[in-house]
Amino acid sequence: MSLSQSYKPNYFSIEDILVTQERVPCKFLINVPKLGKLNPATEDLDIKPGTILELPMWLAEPISSGRQPLISIDLPRSYKETHREILKADAVAVDLHKFGINFYELGLYVKHLDPTGEVLKVLLHTFQSRFRLLMDLTENVGSDPTVQNRLDMLERMLFKSGHAARMRLDTWLRKSDLPMEAAAMVVNHKKRKRIDLEDLFKK
Amino acid sequence: MNPDEVEFIGEKQLISIIPTFNSSTIHLVSGDIGPFRASLPLNVPLWIAINLKQQRKCKIQPPDWMDVTRLEQIKDDEKSSRTFTKMPSEHYMIEAKLLLGYAADDISRADEIRTVIKDIWDIRMSKIRSSVDMLIKNGGSYAAVDNLTLMEINTMRPLLPQAMDQIHRMKKERSHLRPPTQNTTLSLLNSSHTSTSK
Amino acid sequence: MFGDSAYTLIKELDRNPGTLPPYNNELVGEVKKEICHLVQQNHADSMANDESILGENGTNYFPTIRARHAGVQRNLRCLLAYHYNRVKCLRTMRWEFGSILPPDIKANLSSIETNWFSKYSSMLAKYMRSISEDGGLNLTVDLNPPKALYIEVKCLVDYGQYELSDGSVLLLKENSRHFLPRNECEDLIRQGVFQHIVT
Repeated sequence: MSLSQSYKPNYFSIEDILVTQERVPCKFLINVPKLGKLNPATEDLDIKPGTILELPMWLAEPISSGRQPLISIDLPRSYKETHREILKADAVAVDLHKFGINFYELGLYVKHLDPTGEVLKVLLHTFQSRFRLLMDLTENVGSDPTVQNRLDMLERMLFKSGHAARMRLDTWLRKSDLPMEAAAMVVNHKKRKRIDLEDLFKK
Repeated sequence: MNPDEVEFIGEKQLISIIPTFNSSTIHLVSGDIGPFRASLPLNVPLWIAINLKQQRKCKIQPPDWMDVTRLEQIKDDEKSSRTFTKMPSEHYMIEAKLLLGYAADDISRADEIRTVIKDIWDIRMSKIRSSVDMLIKNGGSYAAVDNLTLMEINTMRPLLPQAMDQIHRMKKERSHLRPPTQNTTLSLLNSSHTSTSK
Repeated sequence: MFGDSAYTLIKELDRNPGTLPPYNNELVGEVKKEICHLVQQNHADSMANDESILGENGTNYFPTIRARHAGVQRNLRCLLAYHYNRVKCLRTMRWEFGSILPPDIKANLSSIETNWFSKYSSMLAKYMRSISEDGGLNLTVDLNPPKALYIEVKCLVDYGQYELSDGSVLLLKENSRHFLPRNECEDLIRQGVFQHIVT
């Protein structure tokens, strides 16, 4: 039996490592000696207080906390009020992939930067309003891969497992028996081989 | 769950058959079946009924709900009701699929029955979809699934439970999902056993 | 910037879901070197810090150390995740390809991974043999509830001769169709040699 699990990041999760690579706007609060090379705009040896830099989340997060934070993180653009208004107006119409590839996941990292709780609200609102869209897409029996272009990474994960389940149900309804299938990796491996061969012929 | 796994569960349902052969009782892990006496009806699990039917060793007596007038009534009730009505069988879709697929000659007006059941399924599916959408939009955390059959509930897996998990993750008070820290720092730094340390 | 090579390593896995790209010895070495380098720099600066506390206008290196430390932890996380996810993928491969991997996949493994695979494979085989008294239980088949004893299959490749458990030998040619006991087919279906035909 396939017990499909929901995505929940852990230490080894590739998805979470990709999310934490996203850069967020930071302002240095104190002098950080020797790390001037983090700032491509200057030749200085140190990073001076007041410097504004975009740092990846994995670096920004640990140095923004504690008794003496090195930096303060600013809310990334997609989560600021003007962008929140767009989502509040009509979340379904938004191309969320363009809006932020990891809109929800990065949102969970930055939501505490907004003391009013508006970021959390907009995350929930966006997800809840777009659920119908997601459900409709999974029921699209054709396998047009472009339908997921406007989804963010989290939505794409849900789409993939939902769509696969839908296809199985559809086969069950139409056929006398569900066919046994080749293992997923085997299919994948065959596909890759074919692509490699095609490359070979092109040259 | 995959639909064929749900079907496997549904195949335990008993159904009446009229065997065309004689045989003593068969002892199975799930219980005894038989004895079989030619032209004496008896109840067997659906999977055995289908198997015997495929070998032309029995005639299947369809359940009484598999009847056009009865099903039309169910369809009308389903249409006019806002909630889900109770189906005549917990596994109506599985029984319909198997019996209409393998024993259509034992069922009168099989084609009409097929159409009505498909209609009932479609009406219920669209109800499921709109109620699931409402559930998510209103931020509900549970749903009553009264009168839904297992196969119907299963159509919303894994999308609905996974979406609810994600909403739960978003709502959780602490926003920092700090990845659990690893304490293997030293052992890895000192490792000389990897193939890469050239 | 530090952490970039480690990220490239993870990106490689992300671009190849469900398969294994060649083990990147070079990049793994680079990440390790970067970790050691950052640790050494931190060590040196922490010594300098200890001394400068006594002096008048010494520099406070503590912020620098914290930032570098975050880099060390990031590198470690990527390095561990790289190896962990590869092994996880390798484990799934044992269940999907069986105990013999296609040569082009084998070529992408590090020697340690090859070793791990053969150990895991024999451990799994031993476990499956031990399950029941009479010859064990193959856990990699019967993944779906069975429907019929015999099934129809279409052969997708020129496989050659194939011996059934009753000793008879079949010639499997591309596009040939066969009606065979289900349990004789399942392995070949999983490995993509047969296609299960249903109506």
